[in-house]
This record gives sequence, structure tokens and C-alpha cells, in this order.
Amino acid sequence: MSLAADAFVSQMAAAEPWPESATLYQPLKEDQILLSECASSLAVQAYLRMCGLPVQVVCKANAEYMSPSGKIPFIHVGNQVVSELGPIVQFTKAKGHSLSEGLDDIQRAEMKAYMELVNNMLLTAELYIQWCDDGTAAEITRPRYSSPYSWPLSTILAYQKQWEVRRKMNAIGWGGKNLEQVYEDVSQCCQALSQRLGTQPFFFNKQPTELDALVFGHLFTILTTRLTSTELAERVRGYGNLLSFCRRIEQTYFEDRTS
Amino acid sequence: MGTVHARSLDPLPMQGPELGVHADDIEPPDMEQEPKQEILENKDVVVQRVHIDGLGRTKEDLLSYEISDVFRARNLIDVMKRSHEARQKLLRLGIFRKVEVVIDTSRGEDALPNGLDVTFEVTELRRMTGSYNTMVGNNEGSMVLGMKLPNVFGRAEKLTFQFSYGTKETSYGLSFFKPQVGNFERNITLNAYKVTGQFPWSSLRETDRGVSVELNFPVWKTNQTLKWEGVWRDLGCLARTASFAVREESGHSLKSSLAHAMVIDTRNSSILPRKGGLLKIHQELAGYTGGDASFLKEDFEIQLNKSLFWDSVLSASLWGGLLLPIGDKPTSIADRFYLGGPTSIRGFSMYSMGPQSEGDYLGGEAYWAGGVHLYTPLPFRPGRGGFGDLFRTHFFLNAGNLCNLNYGEGPQAHLKKLAECIRWSYGLGIVLRLGNIARLELNYCIPMGVQSGDRICDGVQFGAGIRFL
Repeated sequence: MSLAADAFVSQMAAAEPWPESATLYQPLKEDQILLSECASSLAVQAYLRMCGLPVQVVCKANAEYMSPSGKIPFIHVGNQVVSELGPIVQFTKAKGHSLSEGLDDIQRAEMKAYMELVNNMLLTAELYIQWCDDGTAAEITRPRYSSPYSWPLSTILAYQKQWEVRRKMNAIGWGGKNLEQVYEDVSQCCQALSQRLGTQPFFFNKQPTELDALVFGHLFTILTTRLTSTELAERVRGYGNLLSFCRRIEQTYFEDRTS
Repeated sequence: MGTVHARSLDPLPMQGPELGVHADDIEPPDMEQEPKQEILENKDVVVQRVHIDGLGRTKEDLLSYEISDVFRARNLIDVMKRSHEARQKLLRLGIFRKVEVVIDTSRGEDALPNGLDVTFEVTELRRMTGSYNTMVGNNEGSMVLGMKLPNVFGRAEKLTFQFSYGTKETSYGLSFFKPQVGNFERNITLNAYKVTGQFPWSSLRETDRGVSVELNFPVWKTNQTLKWEGVWRDLGCLARTASFAVREESGHSLKSSLAHAMVIDTRNSSILPRKGGLLKIHQELAGYTGGDASFLKEDFEIQLNKSLFWDSVLSASLWGGLLLPIGDKPTSIADRFYLGGPTSIRGFSMYSMGPQSEGDYLGGEAYWAGGVHLYTPLPFRPGRGGFGDLFRTHFFLNAGNLCNLNYGEGPQAHLKKLAECIRWSYGLGIVLRLGNIARLELNYCIPMGVQSGDRICDGVQFGAGIRFL
């Protein structure tokens, strides 16, 4: 959107308070949702809970196509539809709720850098493992992705998505990597996060920020999702402070959630 | 012994039943002497041989059925009439560019004194015809390539291919048509296509990729069609401002359906008929042969025409339809009915009636629409006998309703729901007939019974199309 349209939307968003009927849409939980989508959705849910904004989670088989950007999750607030964590953070900021107000400029730049790290490393690794590893793709990803549709549409859509993701991986240079290298990248990313976190409760000491929500979303999903091999979860488990970080956030913000 | 020629007239269109030439258009035979004329007319003749000259790739067995009737002629006038009918039949196969009939007395050893030889001199169509167009529209341009292969294997099969490559969308269609040898009205068509459509009244964009198999056959006076269709539908929002109800319909679905249609058409023309009637009943059952969509859809169309005094025609038509979802999944916006616009209820904007959400029209599961028209020639009849005959003035009254039914209730409740909130309109306008397929209308409309949410177009409204209420 152009800057002027952006500003206009922010103005309109700021005008109304957060309604009770805000909804978050994601694919079907039991049979359809994939690792990367679940991680992104959990990150947004954690962020909204940290802000104290109520949101209802609705599962729809066509959530990916309903989203204006094609990415999960998206929220429907009033008559606005916003998708992905970045724009949602902007949107809530326009309504006057923000977690990163207390940060100074250096810290904000650092936070953005770490969020980019998570998106470029963790999210890409999740996509790689789901779609580019033949074993996982055949056993888990393709059946799950195509479960709401009947044959032959299910096969067509699953392969179409796989080609699209593989093309994207090739474009960003991950096409030549093998699984070991990807696990190494995940370890390195976790190490950087672990070092930054240290012994603090949150990344920026006392208060959680959107970075905490994002990291929680990805790490918690990796730890609790069953894949064909447990290698990915093991790599994350190697960092004790990240484990306790996830547990802490789960207990603080999600204790009413039935797992 | 003179020769009698029954020459062909102007080249006729290759398509279909409406060739517009009647038996009484033939020139009378050119006789040399008066007394012989009487004798020839009453004389019994026997058709000994019927030849077809000029065949290339067409197989003979296909044509023997079309010309078999000629052998049964008993006198000269009968021969000429049957030859002409046979010529019509040969032309409607769509494989000949020109057919000429030559009737001559038989020659040769076994020639009878009253024997005749009939020869059909035909020119086959070229093996492949192509067309290329460029189209420029609203912010987009496209290149359209068409190819037609008539009479591919020699028995009147036709293969057509159309490909449209545009800046925004690409679409294509491939169609194979095969009639039954000896019975042209029984035929089978195989289609494969991809079409895209944009529907601004619903803020919806739809891409359909499908295959279909269609079987046509006449039964007594009706024409029946059986069709299986498998379509992959991809729905999306046309703009970011689409309503959430339309956004919820986005995504992919697969429809596999069986359809049956019955048509009885006794009108003399499909555009601006003067007499006759039309009854069309169509039903579609989806979901029992696979796919995600599951419904039963019924709709019908009735039209009656009667010529009145002073070259005017009174026409009444009634349309109706019902969509019944099977199972617990709701119906898709792509399957529902839409109503309103210059081709149905005039005075309302295109498909802008009935259930809607934030300005986007979602269509309805049940509808009915009726119209009464009085067509008259243009006042003072300008251009009579030529261009002016293509125009008609008409006075119309349209009414209808489109809504969703609550299927839990009984039929009484349904009828009551369809009868409340009736939209209707009246007015007058000018109709222009385009060939035998389409018509243009320019009307002044006064809509009434407008419900909240409907979008009207009162005053002057222009419409172009094939099927009008």
C-alpha cells in the first residue's frame, strides 16, 4: 500500500477501540495446520495475549486463501483484515497498544534485527524441513495440506504448493542445502537467541515484547510438534534457558489453554 | 430431352438449423415447350442413382443416410423437393462449403425411360481454419487465437480450440464434437477449458478449470442433454475492500456434477420470435460422483409468444430455480442464482438484487422472475423492408424475487417467502436484433418494489446479451 493509504488505514484503525468480537483465523488444527503456520499463529496469539487484547481463534480450511497476503494467520477486527505479525503489531500500535514503547532506539533496532533473524532462519528452516525434505513432505506435509480437499484436487494443490516453496528456497539460496546444514543453522540461531536472553525473564529484561512472542511461537511449536525425526526438537532442547523461557510464557499467558 | 438443373442458391451459413431457406424459394424449372411441361410434372419417375461428387476426406457412409430419402421420390416435383431437403441436411453437417444439386435423366445401359440421376456436387471445407484477434478492454489487452478443424476424421467430427492470452488472465478451451453417423441430432461433445471471470457486483474473481462430456439426443419432440462436468474452482476477492462474507468463500473447491436438460422449442426464431413457445428444464446433481460441492439444482424457463394485430407480438416468460444443499456444508457463492440487470429484471443493476453483505451481492438459493412484453414495429416504420426491420419497440413489465430459503420449513413457508418482497419494474424501449444470436436493448425503466440493499438503475438502461427475460 502507498504511504498515504497506509496512513489513512492507521487513522481509521485508531478511531475504534478493540472490539470483543476480534477473530483470528488459521487452518484446521487437528488435520491440516503445518509446523510453520502453527508457529506463526501461536506467535500472534502470544503477542495479543501479552497486550491483553482478547481474540477468538477460528479454524477454517481455506484460511490461507482468505488471507489478504496469502499468509497465516490473519485477524478480523471490526471490518479490517490484517495478516502476519509485522502488520498486526503496526495495527495494534495504531489502536494505542504497544509492547515496545519503553525501548530506546538502539534496543528497538536490536529487536528488529533479532526478529529478522528468527524469520530468516527459524521460519525458513521450518519451511525447508516441511516441504524440501522428501520424507517429511510425503509422510506429513502433503497429506496434511491436502486433507480438506477431495481427489484429484488434493494432489494438485499439494504439489503446486510444494513447487512454489521449493522455487522460493532456490531463490534465497537454500535449495542447495541438505538437512544437516539446516539443523546447524537452527542451532546457531538458537545459540544467538540464548546468548541474548541470558538469565533474564524476557529478551528486554522485565517486559515482554513482540520479539518474545515471535520466539515463543516458533520454539514452542518446534518442541511440541511431532515430525518424522526428533532432531529439530533436540537441537532446541540443547539450550536450557530457551526451554524455561517457553515454559514461563506458556504458564503466564496460556494457562487457561487446553493443550 | 432437356436437362433440368436445380441450382443452389446463395451460400448459406454453415451452422445449424436456421438456414432460412424454404422449399418454395427454388426457381421453377426452365422448360422449353409448354405441352412438355405438363407431361413432365405428372410423369412418374424413378430415381436410379444418386451420386456425390467432390468428396475428399469425408467418408461415404456418413452421407448415405442424408441422401437416402431422394430415392423415394415418385414424380419430378417430389424429386426436386427431396433433393433440396437432402441438400439442407448435407449443409447442416457443417462440413461442406457449398452443395449443388444436378438432376439429369439417367444414361447408360440400365437406364429406364423415366429414370433420373441426381448428383450432389459438394465442396468440402478446408481442413483447418484459424482466426486471430486482439482485444483491448478495461486496463487490459489480450490476444485471442482460434482454430477450427471441421470434419477431422471424415465423419463430421469437429475440433475447435480457442486460446486467449491477456495481460491479466489467460484462458483456453478445447472442444471435440462427434455426431452419430446417420443421426446428426444425436451427438457427443467433449470439452476441456479454463475460464476466468470477474464479477464486480460480488467483488469476486473466479477461475474455473474443467472438463465435461455432453450427450445430446432427441426424444420425440424434445431435445435432451446429459452432461457430466468436473470443475476445479478457484475463488478470490476482486479487491481488498471485498466484504468478509465474500472473503470467506475464497479458496479452492472441486465440483463434479451430473446434469440433465430438456428443451422443447417451437419458436420460429430464438431472438424476437413471433410465435411458438419454449420450455427448458435443467437439473444438476453434484457430489455423488466425487468432489467437494454437494447440491441439487433445478431451474426452468418458459416462454410463450403470440402474434397480434398490426405486426405486434405479445410475449410472456417465466424463469425459476432452486438450489438445495445436500449435507451440512453451505452452498458456494459460485453455485447460487443471481437476478437483476438489463437481461432479467430491468431497472435494477446487473445481478444487484437479493442477499448482500456490505454492498457485495451473494446470490440466492431460490428465485423466480416473470416478464410480459409487447413488441411492436418502430413508430412510423422508418427503413421498412431493410434495416428498420431489425429494430422493434417493446413495452415490458418484469417482476421477480431472489432469496434464501430456510429448508427446515415446509413448502407453504417457502412460497410465502418467495411471494413477499417482490421487485418489479415496467417501461419501454427499443430492441435491436443482431443476427440470430444476440440482441441489444435500450430501455427506459421504472423500478418498483425496491428492497433495501438492492441497487437500481432507473431511467435509461442499456443491455446486450443472448438470453433475456
